Amino acid sequence: MAADPYTVLGVKKGASQDDIQKAYRRLAKKLHPDLNPGNKKAEEQFKDVSAAYDLLGDTEKRARFDRGEIDASGAERPRHRYYRDFSEANPYTSDAGFEDFADAEDILSQIFGGRAGRAGRGNLRMRGSDVHYRLSLDFIDAVNGGKQHITLPDGSVLDVDIPPGIRDGQILRLRGKGQPGIGGGSPGDALVEIEVRPHRIFTRKGDDIHVEVPISLSEAVLGGKIKVPTPSGPVTMTVPKWSNTGTVLRLKGKGVPRAGGGHGDEFVALKIMLPEKPDPELEKFVAQWRGAYSPRQAMEV
Amino acid sequence: MHTHEFVLQARIDVETLDHWLRAGWLMPRENAGDGGFSQVDVARAQLIGDLQDLGINDEGIPVILDLVDQVHGLRNMLREVLTTINTEQRARP
Repeated sequence: MAADPYTVLGVKKGASQDDIQKAYRRLAKKLHPDLNPGNKKAEEQFKDVSAAYDLLGDTEKRARFDRGEIDASGAERPRHRYYRDFSEANPYTSDAGFEDFADAEDILSQIFGGRAGRAGRGNLRMRGSDVHYRLSLDFIDAVNGGKQHITLPDGSVLDVDIPPGIRDGQILRLRGKGQPGIGGGSPGDALVEIEVRPHRIFTRKGDDIHVEVPISLSEAVLGGKIKVPTPSGPVTMTVPKWSNTGTVLRLKGKGVPRAGGGHGDEFVALKIMLPEKPDPELEKFVAQWRGAYSPRQAMEV
Repeated sequence: MHTHEFVLQARIDVETLDHWLRAGWLMPRENAGDGGFSQVDVARAQLIGDLQDLGINDEGIPVILDLVDQVHGLRNMLREVLTTINTEQRARP
């Protein structure tokens, strides 16, 4: 092709990209060979139009063309065959277009002799549609994974394998568990959106678990072994001597299982708790204790 | 043909292919054993790409594909009818 692409698309030299796209679309809708299966001329014209659009639809190529660096030839897009070229041996071809020709059936079967009830009639094959579900999980079940099930509106039960460490908002795809396919098509998938309910004491950040653990005054001052909860059950942990409120200890590998193997950690924040009821003995003891320490020094009060 | 060869010929990426398969716009032969794609699917994929270039959205594409397929079916039938009539006329004295 050597025609001026502006002429082919019927736009002025100064047309905006938007106008060029509009012009291309207007022409291509009329000329696309697959939308004109019987029109031989359409193919030739469509080739020119799409070649012109290849050149002008791309601002960079258009600028180079305008500067005369490239010409309109050689801009043709190599193209395989059009869809219409397959119409005689095309498995997608639908005969649904004359299903209402009930009276013509006899005539057609006379014409085609034994070939009445042609192959392809009604062989619509479609994949079943996907089905969406929500599954609300306990915090601990989400961390540890395991089997869960969803009871469907029709009473049947869908088993769901929860991978350990699943997150809130994650979507599980259960292949083939959606609507059945039509005419032998494959069934759709079930998409299960996971909701993780918050936990009373644990919070999760990434693959790590955070928990606040109260300790007594004597445990804080003297140290000792205490039991702390983890998602996989309680473990014993050593509190070092002189541990303050806000001290964070790490339990390695006691966090959330990772998809690629391994675990996150659990972080234990200590918090000193005085006995709930006043203890006269403790009061007497502390009254004798004269420390020079002022924890509010940094506040300049 | 296999999937990787198909996406090359059709000039689409695997994600797009996945989307089109899910939407049912492409239906490779399932029992072909090698991915099941043929030249018909390549041409159909290019048609889908052209339709998207024309500004047709995801809702419109299956409508057009279905109508195009029906037109093909009707044209085939018409061609057979005309061929048959032609043959019969010639067979008559």
